Amino acid sequence: MAIVGVGQTSYKRAHTELSSADMIWTAAELALEDAGMGVDAVDVIVMGVAPDALAGENGVEKTAIFGAGKPYVRVNTGGVTGSSAAFAGASYVGSGRAKVALVISLERMGQATTSQQVFNTIFDPVYEKDFPLTTITMAALRASLLMRVYGYSERDWALIAARNYRNALRNPLAHIHKDLSADDILASPMLAWPIHRFEACPMSEGACALVIAAQSAVGDRTGAWVQGIASTSDSYAMGDRFHRPEGTLVDLLSLRRSAERAYADAGITDARTDLDVVELYSPFSSAEAMTYPALGFCEPQHGPRFIQEQLTDASLPVFNPSGGPQAANPVSATAMVRIAESALQVRGMAGEHQVPEARRAVATGQGGATQFSTVCILGAERPE
Amino acid sequence: MPIYVEGVALEVSFADARRNLSELIFDAVRAAVDDSGRDMGEIDSVVLAAHDLVDGRSLSSMVTAPAAGAYLRDETRYSDDGAAAFAAAMTRLEAGDNTRSIVAAWGRCSEHDPDAFSRALFDPFMTRPLGLDEFVLSGMRAQIYLAGDGVREARSRATSRRREAARRNPRALKSGGFTSTPHYPLEETDMPLWADITVAMVLSTEPAAVRVAGMGQSSEPYLFGDRELRSIRSLEWAADRALADAGLGGDLVDLAEVDGLTLIDEALGLEAVGFATRGGGMAALADDPRANPSGGGASGYSRPAMGLMRIAEAVLQLRGSAGPVQVDGARTALASGSSTVAGQTQTAIVLAAA
Repeated sequence: MAIVGVGQTSYKRAHTELSSADMIWTAAELALEDAGMGVDAVDVIVMGVAPDALAGENGVEKTAIFGAGKPYVRVNTGGVTGSSAAFAGASYVGSGRAKVALVISLERMGQATTSQQVFNTIFDPVYEKDFPLTTITMAALRASLLMRVYGYSERDWALIAARNYRNALRNPLAHIHKDLSADDILASPMLAWPIHRFEACPMSEGACALVIAAQSAVGDRTGAWVQGIASTSDSYAMGDRFHRPEGTLVDLLSLRRSAERAYADAGITDARTDLDVVELYSPFSSAEAMTYPALGFCEPQHGPRFIQEQLTDASLPVFNPSGGPQAANPVSATAMVRIAESALQVRGMAGEHQVPEARRAVATGQGGATQFSTVCILGAERPE
Repeated sequence: MPIYVEGVALEVSFADARRNLSELIFDAVRAAVDDSGRDMGEIDSVVLAAHDLVDGRSLSSMVTAPAAGAYLRDETRYSDDGAAAFAAAMTRLEAGDNTRSIVAAWGRCSEHDPDAFSRALFDPFMTRPLGLDEFVLSGMRAQIYLAGDGVREARSRATSRRREAARRNPRALKSGGFTSTPHYPLEETDMPLWADITVAMVLSTEPAAVRVAGMGQSSEPYLFGDRELRSIRSLEWAADRALADAGLGGDLVDLAEVDGLTLIDEALGLEAVGFATRGGGMAALADDPRANPSGGGASGYSRPAMGLMRIAEAVLQLRGSAGPVQVDGARTALASGSSTVAGQTQTAIVLAAA
């Protein structure tokens, strides 16, 4: 099967001019237009929204169902909602129950006064809520562990963020268009040590849509062929992930397991040479470091060196050519945006941020307390 | 590729102070896996149906998924009805993504306010201030439905039969629970009995006692004014697809377990799936022991578990293990699950004894 249509709204703090249904259908219509299809060609609709509390409305996405009588399901897996929705659509297509799936993810957090108060409610209401544990402090715990165990520095986090901002300057849909150097980032306010403000993701609204077609329905369209997809869930309690033999909290076992399965399906044996583009769901620049060994780019202890290698070794894949989540983080949609951007790259349709001769890309999703991980491999080659 | 139900577990309780939500989920999933005769090493997929606003925390699957057996497995969660999760799990198996999957759904009414959940479904600026909730919409449906010939007369008999079925059903809530205040013309006996419900199943591509013969899904517009009040078109379309999949007619299945928020919604549901004729749904509930033999919403109700609960009851019927509410000789069954608003999205599942 292949992704034959991609549609995205722009990403920004709040789409005050658009209703939720407007945002959904803006993305959907763009994706269908890209695919050269009408909605009548769609056999199933999968929507991804999470969590309801950010939108202040229960089931906000259902306002966009206009009566086509299509099968419809809604996915909610936190940060991986977008990729889980795409995978659900792929399963409908793979099962033969649908030739064409329209999958859409919506983020409507512009109506939330503060996302961190909402994200505080993902943690245990009795033992953890007053900690105060939020997605920022959760990421800070991991960043400090990475620094202690593997020798990363605050400048490493700033270098990753600077690369993302630099790439986002060429992505017209990105939320943040600022040319920030590592020094600028290190000079930004500290949110929770060691995370500076510009190493964190913004609060973004937006919608992303994909059209996924069975091979028989692709026709002469330019497709991003799905070569491997995998999803893995991990334990909730962070304390349970410190001393287990399978891997520690920062080994990102769920991503590693997903990558192993997706790579096997795609025939990838060396991530450094077999991939051209990497679109990561790392909402904090420091979180990106956990993905390097999990995706097979380097050994864990060589992570700091790998950041430097990215700056000097042109043979390595290009990381986050879209700018990644530092440049736009519409939470429910972000993991789908990674897939969408990867699809645009291997289809040669990424515009100003196109990576030359991109033939194969990996897109990741990350959700929960670094608990849910997805990996999607897309390629330009039509299968035999 | 045929899909089979290898294991099933269903528990209806209320305010069990000995167990938290994770423990309720773990117990149901464990029971379903035990019922399947498999061990966890043979299961590679977990598909859940759960609502954050029901579970009382954002991204509740962070804590509930591990309890449902998701540790280091391919897991996903639908904020949709349990029957939709069942259908989605089927597609994962049919696509070859997985070989054996847990499906689980739950809702704990003793720890959330189902009326507040319902009110939150409506737009905060335009419709929520009107006081709309799902029972208002069911009441609007009831007004037109109860005007039909003989429907009011059948309603009292249907109420009696539904209560008696729930009394006899060993899986129904026997004490505790509560009902919401009915809106005219609904009466208290039309209302669902809010309960704590956990349901789990094991689906497989390997032959087992119950085969999934058909699956269909559909949807309707969001705005109630854009829909036909007198019928549930999305369920009609979903059932048509499921029955075509199974090569059956709605009137040919041996029993129906149809989800509906109120007694009137159950009657409309039976008509939508073709188990009863148009206008005959209430009479079917009143007089046909094959129509919602479990007692429907009177045996316990909590979103988003209801579709999976209906499927579980149908599976038990086809295995001949439904107990005092067993329908003799049942070989085929149709079960449905609906999701908000007012059954906007529907899933129909046709099951057959293998």
